[in-house]
Amino acid sequence: MKTFNSALGVCILIFSVNAARAEVAVIVNLGASVTPSQSDVANIFLGKDKSLKGIDQKDWPPAKEKFYGAIVNKNESQLKSYWSGLVFTGKGQPLPSVADDAAVVAKISTEPDAIGYIDRASATEKVKILFILP
Amino acid sequence: MRNIRFLGLSACLLSTSSFALEQGEYRLNGFGTAGITHLGGEDSRRAYGVTGQTNDSWRGDQLSKLGGQIQYGITDTVGVTLQVTVKPQQDNWKANLEWAYLSWQTTDRLMLRAGRLRNPVYMYSETLDVGFTYPWLRLPDEVYSQVQLSNYEGADALYTMPISVGSVTFQVAAGQAVNRDIFGLGKLYDIDYKKIFATNISLATNSFGTLRVGYTEADIDSVYNSVVTTSSGDRSDVNFGKLSKQKGKFTSVGYQYDNGTWLTSNELTRRVIEADGNVASKAFYLMGGRRYGNFLAHVTYAQLDEDNGRQGSWTYGLNYNITPTIIVKGEYKRVDTSGKYNGVFVESAQENYDHAVNAATNGVSGVPSRNYDGDIISVGVDFVF
Repeated sequence: MKTFNSALGVCILIFSVNAARAEVAVIVNLGASVTPSQSDVANIFLGKDKSLKGIDQKDWPPAKEKFYGAIVNKNESQLKSYWSGLVFTGKGQPLPSVADDAAVVAKISTEPDAIGYIDRASATEKVKILFILP
Repeated sequence: MRNIRFLGLSACLLSTSSFALEQGEYRLNGFGTAGITHLGGEDSRRAYGVTGQTNDSWRGDQLSKLGGQIQYGITDTVGVTLQVTVKPQQDNWKANLEWAYLSWQTTDRLMLRAGRLRNPVYMYSETLDVGFTYPWLRLPDEVYSQVQLSNYEGADALYTMPISVGSVTFQVAAGQAVNRDIFGLGKLYDIDYKKIFATNISLATNSFGTLRVGYTEADIDSVYNSVVTTSSGDRSDVNFGKLSKQKGKFTSVGYQYDNGTWLTSNELTRRVIEADGNVASKAFYLMGGRRYGNFLAHVTYAQLDEDNGRQGSWTYGLNYNITPTIIVKGEYKRVDTSGKYNGVFVESAQENYDHAVNAATNGVSGVPSRNYDGDIISVGVDFVF
């Protein structure tokens, strides 16, 4: 079973490298007391709701493309334009970001009020999957 | 090295609010536009535009600008922001301190700011110089020529509340702006805005766009005097208008929607100067666009009504994202006025005088008012860094 899982993991990993169509998991700390909806998550990652700490990913990996496309209908340049609007009006700063899925998992497993998104295949038992973006 | 240290520090302190910088952290951001524009189909040297730099030579000083901003966290909730722009004012390039304020994030939802701030008049007021944040190279002149003030000294409060469909932001601002410039009759005049009060509310939904309603008022002092050649042939200093503590009121209702493929941006404004005998200036624009990959094609209709005159324009634009932070834009704008009205076309003090004489003498002397039309082509690049 374990072998099957890791084989599946590798398959998904390869699939996700080849195409940005892999599933994205929105994850929270195992001890998280709230279960934000998809629209709450949109607010958190647009910097409008600070009840949870959104952990973003650096650059523009496939999981990020998928996440922002599904949650707020924005591609990389539209997201940059959105944050420019906030930065240059002094109304906000982009969320802190970390290098990759593993770093998001590491961060979220230690911070009770952190929330992030990763390729589903990167999810471990150290974090709770809130929902999956197909 | 310093950067690396700050980076490390900010990673450690990741857990504080995304709105404020952590203590000791700083951010540098910049933006700019490099563009040229040309007015065809009018008299030679006829000027057009908010500050009148668009004419029949290809000029870079109507659209081009460069800005830099530094934000520094004094504590985890108190920060300082400075923004400097370099842009042309009429015929000279000028450096401006646009923002210089202290901000205090009192709670997750409430931010208080004091210092020099941009006045929240229009939907795009606070990013007026950041072309990257809007689809055009030239914001619709019909609306964006109505209030020329871009910043003031005072304070504001910003309250943002998340709601199930998005968020609501409420802003109140008060202050004054003295010894500023206003472009009219082909040149710059001194103007003072006192007792500025502005408030706006915006409802940003995640699926149905953003609606913003704003109101601004101020007591305005300004005197428009210019030396003209009178009908008797003398050179004389003539007064074209005087505002003395007269209240100007400005209302803006805007709506934006962007689903990633289709987008629209619309704004309706009304300006009244009390006790001036002027009726309201009403203006609006309606814009729709569609993205095709990295391209954005858009069309805008804009209109300005003042007294019995009207300016209407159609703008067709095509943008291309070279990279996520650099956009090349091209625009063609066709402008027509009716009702013997100059609209955003610039008439000199002499021309205004001659029109007034013509009207006063029932056409016996002077020069009659007339309509204008033109084709404006603009090409440029917007970027942020």
